[in-house]
Amino acid sequence: MMLKIEDLRAEVDGKEILKGLSLSVNAGEVHAIMGPNGAGKSTLGYVLGGRPGYEPTGGSAVFEGQDLLELAPHERAAAGLFLGFQYPVEIPGISNVQFLREALNSQRRARYEAPLSGGEFLKLARAQADALGMDQEMLKRPVNVGFSGGEKKRNEMVQMGIIGPKLAILDETDSGLDIDALKAVGDGINRIMRAPDKAVILITHYQRLLDYVQPDFVHVLAEGRIVRSGGPELALELEREGYGALVA
Amino acid sequence: MSVLDLPSPRLEEWHWADMAALKAAAESTPRAASAAPAELFLDIEGPRLLFVDGMFEPAHSRPGRIQVGRIVPETEHPLGRQAEGEGWSLHLGREEAVTHIQIVHLGSGGENHVPARLVLEEDAVASVVESFAGSGWANRLTNIVLGKGARLMRSVRLVQDDGFVSLRDEAEIGEAASLVSIFLGAGGMGSRIDGALTLTGKGAFAEMGGALLTRATQKQEAAVVVRHENVEGTSRQLWRAVAADRSAASLAARVEVARGAQQTDGEQSLRGLLLQRSATVNLKPELEIFADDVKCAHGATVGELDRRALFYLESRGIEEARAKALLTRAFVADAMERIGEEAVREAFVADADKWLEAAL
Repeated sequence: MMLKIEDLRAEVDGKEILKGLSLSVNAGEVHAIMGPNGAGKSTLGYVLGGRPGYEPTGGSAVFEGQDLLELAPHERAAAGLFLGFQYPVEIPGISNVQFLREALNSQRRARYEAPLSGGEFLKLARAQADALGMDQEMLKRPVNVGFSGGEKKRNEMVQMGIIGPKLAILDETDSGLDIDALKAVGDGINRIMRAPDKAVILITHYQRLLDYVQPDFVHVLAEGRIVRSGGPELALELEREGYGALVA
Repeated sequence: MSVLDLPSPRLEEWHWADMAALKAAAESTPRAASAAPAELFLDIEGPRLLFVDGMFEPAHSRPGRIQVGRIVPETEHPLGRQAEGEGWSLHLGREEAVTHIQIVHLGSGGENHVPARLVLEEDAVASVVESFAGSGWANRLTNIVLGKGARLMRSVRLVQDDGFVSLRDEAEIGEAASLVSIFLGAGGMGSRIDGALTLTGKGAFAEMGGALLTRATQKQEAAVVVRHENVEGTSRQLWRAVAADRSAASLAARVEVARGAQQTDGEQSLRGLLLQRSATVNLKPELEIFADDVKCAHGATVGELDRRALFYLESRGIEEARAKALLTRAFVADAMERIGEEAVREAFVADADKWLEAAL
């Protein structure tokens, strides 16, 4: 098993948001986590990513045999976890290339792998930008600065392609995307992460990304725990009937 | 000895100045220099001058067009007027150019004073890099006169281990002339960077800015007045301050637009970053405008590192200390980007990086 979350509880600002969440993810699987606003979807991503202020208070999360909650955020990344942000952060003064090379080589060093040279890295970065339909000029620009919503999300996927994680947790990656960007992002997820040794957790409010990335399992998150799990048909049911009926 | 004549902190313009540190540096006993002069020159071709404790060292210099000799300071400035003695000067005639001039000031303790004078006639071009290293009190007065269309790029780095550096720049910028002066305070010394730039000609350009990095109990300060006296002038003051531990960095920047100096475009950007909450950044942007057709923008902000950006970097595998260094480096980068010469800019960025490694 790649990721095993058991009875996870977490607080934000002293308020309990996750209230005993359990979820198991095997290599090769794509899981969609859906749910109404305020259910704790983004909190789950941040707690697994280790964001300060999102404090686990009980339960466990084991990733590839390691206690995920004990690791610093950069160690989680080096272990193979990738968190795709709903709102990717703008960082003036640091170019995409510089940021990603630094990130990738930090991870490689942590895994006792040789860092990539400037040339090797650029080749990799250009290939990923091309595959996602991102203008190569944007690699030179400061991280996400002046990018549209869609460009930021494509950039998240380019980053994922460059870093090559084992498990991607993608938080509302479909929000703010037009239909072309949605397709590009969906194709990117399939190309980069659809592999027997990789897994994806898609956190999403809507069904539409799931038209492009077929989930193996769909879970409904409400009030801080998984209230129902099923196959892809569950997403369609939710789309048809809304969360109200399920959550009530 | 001049320390008795120091300006009083009761005066508003000297409120943040660390005159106690200046006095201690002036009274410090000389000790062996920490750096070899050769290491302080950048690897670029051009005239070189070395001053050790304020004395010209011909053995390590090749002055070219630069004259060395006694200069009597002409200023009312309380520190600048004390910069009397052997100094350097450059006078370029019409369309002459001397670039990549390097001046290194190495101090071993006690006080040293060097005046300088740069006169560029019509369409002349010069660029100067100055480096301050070692210890003691280094006091400088630099007079600059730019004729029509003349261009001067000045880059100054303060990397003394301790002591104090006080700089006073006074410049007159003629028609369509351009002065860009960028400063980096990245040593352990205290500092006061003091400037009075006057745009006397139509369409003149004046820029003074840079980055002050402070830690421990150090205090660094810049106090700049840019005065627009003619029409269509442009001025830029872009300063960044990074303060760690219990240190303080202070920036006071003033734009004055005289009556009739229409179509002035003045911009100030003062930003401070606190690496710990025990540190202090003081910002004082001021505008004094006596003309009505003027565009003046100013921004002043002090804050801590953006926690969201920090987590974003960490979540991609970058360790916390390194992520902080990258963000802090990015914060000072726009000030250093104003340096036009790549080799000089890279050297300044490397000094800032070295500071960051030690401070974070």
